[in-house]
Amino acid sequence: MSHHIEKPTDITVPPTSLWAKLPMIGGALAVVGLGATLGSAFGHDKARAMFSYLFAYELVLSIALGSLGFVLIQHLVRAGWSITVRRVAETAMATLPLFLVLWIPIGLLGLHELYPWTHETDEILERKRWFLSNGFFFGRAGLYLVGWSVLAIFLYRSSVKIDSLTDMGEKKKVIHLIWKVSAAGIFFYALTQSFQAIDWLMGLTPHWYSTIFGLYYFAGSILAMYAFVSLATMALQRAGMIKKAVTAEHYHDLGKFTFGHTVFWAYIAVSQLIIIWFGNIPEETEYYMARMGGGWEIVSYALPVTNFFIPFLYLVSRHVKRHRTAFAVGCIYTLVMRVVDVYWLVLPSYGAHGEGAHEPHLAVHWLDVAAVVGVAGAFLAVFGWLMNKNKVIAIGDPRLEESLAHENY
Amino acid sequence: MANAAPSTSLALPDDPNVRGDIVLEDPIEGREPLVRGDRDFHYITEAVCRGNELPLMKTPSTFVFGLLLAFAGFLLFGGYVGWLFWEGPGIWGNNNPVSWAWDIVNFVFWVGIGHAGTLISAILYLFRQKWRMGVNRYAEAMTIFAVICAASCVVLHTGRIWLDYFLFPIPNQMQLWPNFRSPLEWDVFAVNTYFTVSLLFWFTGLVPDFATLRDRATVKWRQLFYGALALGWRGSARHWVTYEKAYQILAAFSAPLVLSVHSVVSFDFAVSQLPGWHTTIFPPYFVAGAIFGGFAMVQNLIIPARAWLGLKDIITIRHIENMNKIILLTGSLVGYAYGMEFFVAAYSGNEYEGFTFINRAFGPYWWAYWIMLSCNVLSPQLFWFKKLRTNLYLSWIVAALVNTGMWFERFVICVTSLHRDALPSSWEYFVPRTEVLFLLGTFGLFLFLFLLFIRFFPVIAISEVKTILPQANPHWEGYAHAKGGH
Repeated sequence: MSHHIEKPTDITVPPTSLWAKLPMIGGALAVVGLGATLGSAFGHDKARAMFSYLFAYELVLSIALGSLGFVLIQHLVRAGWSITVRRVAETAMATLPLFLVLWIPIGLLGLHELYPWTHETDEILERKRWFLSNGFFFGRAGLYLVGWSVLAIFLYRSSVKIDSLTDMGEKKKVIHLIWKVSAAGIFFYALTQSFQAIDWLMGLTPHWYSTIFGLYYFAGSILAMYAFVSLATMALQRAGMIKKAVTAEHYHDLGKFTFGHTVFWAYIAVSQLIIIWFGNIPEETEYYMARMGGGWEIVSYALPVTNFFIPFLYLVSRHVKRHRTAFAVGCIYTLVMRVVDVYWLVLPSYGAHGEGAHEPHLAVHWLDVAAVVGVAGAFLAVFGWLMNKNKVIAIGDPRLEESLAHENY
Repeated sequence: MANAAPSTSLALPDDPNVRGDIVLEDPIEGREPLVRGDRDFHYITEAVCRGNELPLMKTPSTFVFGLLLAFAGFLLFGGYVGWLFWEGPGIWGNNNPVSWAWDIVNFVFWVGIGHAGTLISAILYLFRQKWRMGVNRYAEAMTIFAVICAASCVVLHTGRIWLDYFLFPIPNQMQLWPNFRSPLEWDVFAVNTYFTVSLLFWFTGLVPDFATLRDRATVKWRQLFYGALALGWRGSARHWVTYEKAYQILAAFSAPLVLSVHSVVSFDFAVSQLPGWHTTIFPPYFVAGAIFGGFAMVQNLIIPARAWLGLKDIITIRHIENMNKIILLTGSLVGYAYGMEFFVAAYSGNEYEGFTFINRAFGPYWWAYWIMLSCNVLSPQLFWFKKLRTNLYLSWIVAALVNTGMWFERFVICVTSLHRDALPSSWEYFVPRTEVLFLLGTFGLFLFLFLLFIRFFPVIAISEVKTILPQANPHWEGYAHAKGGH
């Protein structure tokens, strides 16, 4: 080929940019937010603090876990287009060990407040003891969290290693190993991401069950990941990095996937709703009944509009996906709506069990904000630290040139 | 980039019957060429039209034999349907609800087959997966014929088929309206929309190729036949612009149909309260299964066809491998759904759910369950190994196993869930008798249509495949450059 594409050179964080300060900023937010939330967990607001914390944890985890899924899929399908943005997702994925640490408050502090099966009993719960028991629960959590961390660290390190390799034979060795690990990893990812949703979210209402629940979390998680990766890439470009490496063509594709997963999320959500509504069996409708009173019905009725119709009509446009500011608006909106979705998954269970149990009612608490600030701050601190530590683009990937020249036609 | 690696093709042997089967290493840089050999635009036209332009009397005898065999199957179908009209659906044993399964099993089986065609033509088009261009025409044709077979199952199973128009919401003097809350009614809309859009999509893609055949025609009937089908296509720039737009819009319309049709089919089961049917994962699980079975059918058809038609340079081993990867993916998704159903049945603490699944695996129909599981979940796992997924014989065998498994999946869902339902009076061990002839007959119908398609229609999207040749790349610098390498 005669037209050689130049490899980007603006691939490290400039020391004066906000990115260089991100670890500090994130760390400060984490200290404030986590301090306030976990501090309250030792006071009389313990239950509320734990619910807010779980909400924030699952919200931010969905970005990190979605990134793991994205990276695994990119390797397995030998994707070329995404290489210029893959490092951003890899870095978000590499924060997964943080979630091992952040899980400790859920396991040590909040188990009793969050999960009624730990102390309540009835005939049905007794039949579920084989699965819903402390030992097995902790064992599973350990498996998910350690497994994700090991997988994420391996994938991240291997990708960074290729950055400095020049010999194609050595690169090939690393890449072949990545491919093999990804093949096994996708099985592990599919099962563990579903079962963490079953354990940590479905377990909030231990009588209720839905086979599609793991997919519901997956859809939202991948969606949040696409919005986050797009926004982070835009922020890198604003700070003067990878200026020419990421073009409207890449945003167009990221936008298509954001659009596609908006539809996918709605498809999964409506499948669950129609089947449960139509069947009208009390043990299943319980989940929706809890979300149809006390102000929650407003969120329930709004979700199809705010999380499907509006982003659908907005993101369907080719112009929006290729226009940086317009697409940024779509991504921010998508992330905000992801917050609403996870909030709607977790908080209706607050106060529904135990002493002083009451009908669920929608009441936003300052702890919800504090918890999100804390967990997201910790996430951004690790994310920013890794971004500063290594190149912001997978510069050594043998297919980088293909990605740089990527066009949608 | 897709078109930038002509040097690898030079290392391949000259025999076009061998070249297409040679497995190249997965490149970590650049891409394998989609069409093998130093082919020019004209070669593509020649290779595809050759089969269509053979004089009628010179049709190879093997082909005539195949066509007659398929026609015999079609006659079987016609004969059996005639008997069905005469006697009524009692010959399907429909006096007992367990036996209703037969027509439903076959309907779901056939309508599922079609999904691979729509996925290849619509979703892979929107994803700009250029390898699809070698296989999309077959797959789309398969979709149309599979939906025809599926429709025959539902149209015929209603009992009084002369009242089938009741299915449509036609205002009638009897004030009898279909129940719009019934998923069976949604099925009518879903399948009809699906068939219409698929047909339009297929035909739109065919128009430029019909024009090619028309322009090359040397006898009057072919001129008239292809001339009528080509709708006055002249290949002007304006035609192409309109064509591309129409294609894009139809692809966008078809993409949600990949999900919607089989989701609605799954609602037929899932909105009931029957354990084994009523479970929330059904819609995505059915869609994955449909794509899975559809790709297996594409493999079963295309592996022999590419060899027989001498199209190995256009449909290379890489195409087969890619489709095997999709079979592996969707097979694993189906396995996830089986596992999740079983897990939640145990997790729910609901004894009816629990019984249904234990009964499925170890009850009277245990054999159907284990056929389903081993064919659908275990056999595709062989495709983790490159050696196995690039073996043509093994690919064909696994695809046949998958088709068997997917048929049994529907059998397991319908029959084993019904045969121990809440009404013990309808408990029965269902054994199909003459109904098997009906299933064989639909295969006859399907193959008959498919062979006619191969004989008279361009089996490869000529104009699309030309766009993925290296010469079509704006940066291509001539044959000398390609031959000399970099």
